[in-house]
Amino acid sequence: MSGGIARGRLAEERKAWRKNHPHGFVAKPETLPDGTVNLMVWHCTIPGKSGTHWEGGYFPLTLHFSEDYPSKPPKCKFPQGFFHPNVYPSGTVCLSILNEDSGWRPAITVKQILVGIQDLLDQPNPADPAQTEGYHLFIQDTAEYNKRVRLQAKQYPPLL
Amino acid sequence: MDENDLNSDDEIAIDDDCYYDFFIKGDDPMDSEDAKSREGSGQKYTILNQADIRKRQEDVIAAISTVLSVSGATATILLRHFNWSVGKVHEAWFADEDVVRKRVGLLNYEKQLSDVNAGDRATCGICFDVYPRYRIFSVGCGHPFCRECWGGYISSAINDGPGCLTLRCPDVSCSAAADRDIIDMLALSDDDKKKYSQYLLRSYVEESKQIKWCPGPDCEYAVEFDAGGGGDDSWDVSCRCSYSFCWNCLEDSHRPVDCQTVSSWLSKNTDESETKIWILARTKPCPRCQKSIEKNGGCMHMTCNPPCRYEFCWICLGDWYNHETCNRYNEAADVEADKNREDAEKHVTKYTHYFDRWAANHSSRQKAIAEMQRVQSVQIRKLIETQGKAEYELLFITDAWEQIIGCRQVLKWTYAYGYYLPENEHTKRRLFEFLQGEAETGLERLHECAELELNQFLVDYGSPLEGFKEFEVKLKGLTMVTRKYFEKLVRALENGLSEVQVSGTEEIGQNFPMASAEG
Repeated sequence: MSGGIARGRLAEERKAWRKNHPHGFVAKPETLPDGTVNLMVWHCTIPGKSGTHWEGGYFPLTLHFSEDYPSKPPKCKFPQGFFHPNVYPSGTVCLSILNEDSGWRPAITVKQILVGIQDLLDQPNPADPAQTEGYHLFIQDTAEYNKRVRLQAKQYPPLL
Repeated sequence: MDENDLNSDDEIAIDDDCYYDFFIKGDDPMDSEDAKSREGSGQKYTILNQADIRKRQEDVIAAISTVLSVSGATATILLRHFNWSVGKVHEAWFADEDVVRKRVGLLNYEKQLSDVNAGDRATCGICFDVYPRYRIFSVGCGHPFCRECWGGYISSAINDGPGCLTLRCPDVSCSAAADRDIIDMLALSDDDKKKYSQYLLRSYVEESKQIKWCPGPDCEYAVEFDAGGGGDDSWDVSCRCSYSFCWNCLEDSHRPVDCQTVSSWLSKNTDESETKIWILARTKPCPRCQKSIEKNGGCMHMTCNPPCRYEFCWICLGDWYNHETCNRYNEAADVEADKNREDAEKHVTKYTHYFDRWAANHSSRQKAIAEMQRVQSVQIRKLIETQGKAEYELLFITDAWEQIIGCRQVLKWTYAYGYYLPENEHTKRRLFEFLQGEAETGLERLHECAELELNQFLVDYGSPLEGFKEFEVKLKGLTMVTRKYFEKLVRALENGLSEVQVSGTEEIGQNFPMASAEG
């Protein structure tokens, strides 16, 4: 909030994450070419929930934190062109808790963001569309929508 | 504090029904006082300065706080949620306290910090640092945050706008309200506290139904209006800043014209469609690039602006170089387009007629206001010297100017009225134009007399000039006559020109013999 607590908080988040995090998820601050760690950008992976069409996919997500964090939410981005009704063509995720004007609270943690986005994957919010293709298929052609989701899950196999 | 036990040390321990009745009646503790202050003057409104507003706000907060036995900060949250209506707070609270509490984020009980943080140290949920207990705060929900993070959270909310008045705990799913006591205790700077308190004050005015800010430039007063106060139907309000406006629609005073007409007129004035009609009536499109061209004289050989440079005949819009003559009548010519242009031109002429007069009276009024200030500050003093009069003997001059200013306002709005008066209501139109014409003539005479004839008496000839008495009689007479004309005009328009239906006659002059009123 004032005077840059962003880095301190992110360091603590990182510590807490290493101690304990949900199965299948990855969340790691970026390592620069010179070997130093940039706490302001995190590379994460969100596993599709088992029992859904998203199962088997390990979707890469990047979190960009600003110096105002945690006063303001991080920007969360999937790869460009990611197929989902609530993801903008740029890959930015549209989710209430990530909106600085409404749902964001400074006590929301990285873990809560990632779990929230995992929930969003198989429970899109048709009231808040962010891309045409995903939205239209979702409301008009469920079979085709599910096919596209499964196809996308195959594009992102587990990184081993 | 035990907020649930309403009867514990309350003197008015009576059963629920009477309780409720009692408070509905006493809705606003200020009511009776205001009524008294208004009765005398016959005014239906009260001008409030910042201190008055704050006083009223604190009074309703205190009233709720006493009756519900809750803190002032809690009462503030409740009142703000229910648009500052004491009656509504009571109604909702006594109907179902738990529902209300849930909706506004008031907890029934204080939760202790969660087990993990129960020791003498606790982890702040924002910066994740560990602090001794005394530096950790929670809004009764047990979610621990350190003083600095609270300060930052509050400051960022306050700087985001009036939404800070409904601030909740920073935890994700916690709805516990952060009230003004917390803000007072934890805000980072006095500046933040000041802003918060200003938002709270604004909320009292902007969300309550009886008070509105004066729309006058830089004015800080608010006006409370008592619509049920009887008297005439006028919404006109004169603020202490000297701006007068219609309390209902917040446009400037527009008696005798109703708010609906004013709003249509004003939106028409700013409406682009008028511009379009003007363009259609006065211009033709270039046959090649379609850009609108207005012809302001000269021959018919037109050359469009670069880069188009198309040369054509203004009359037939044909290419100039393949053009011989276009004097031969061609029936198939675009009759339709000409008709449209004609209609549009007629419409523009009508609108321009009313708009010009509306605008001229508006600027004339502005000038009269400036002139009156000059009269009061300079001319009256001069007259006291040159004519040897006492100040009270010259009041008739300021009276005349006040009359002029008021009449210009009325006259201005009657032109909006005239524009919307249906053209097929011939009798009404005739009556209206007659009354308006009489009023306008009277006003012009008065305005001219006050403006020009006064000047000769300002020059110091060493002794009082003869004829001042005559001037006085004339100006007083014109003031009086003009007032009468305008009173009639206002009354007639406020009745919707209903005299026409009653009399059903065309002989307007006989029914309204005001022409004879002039002496």
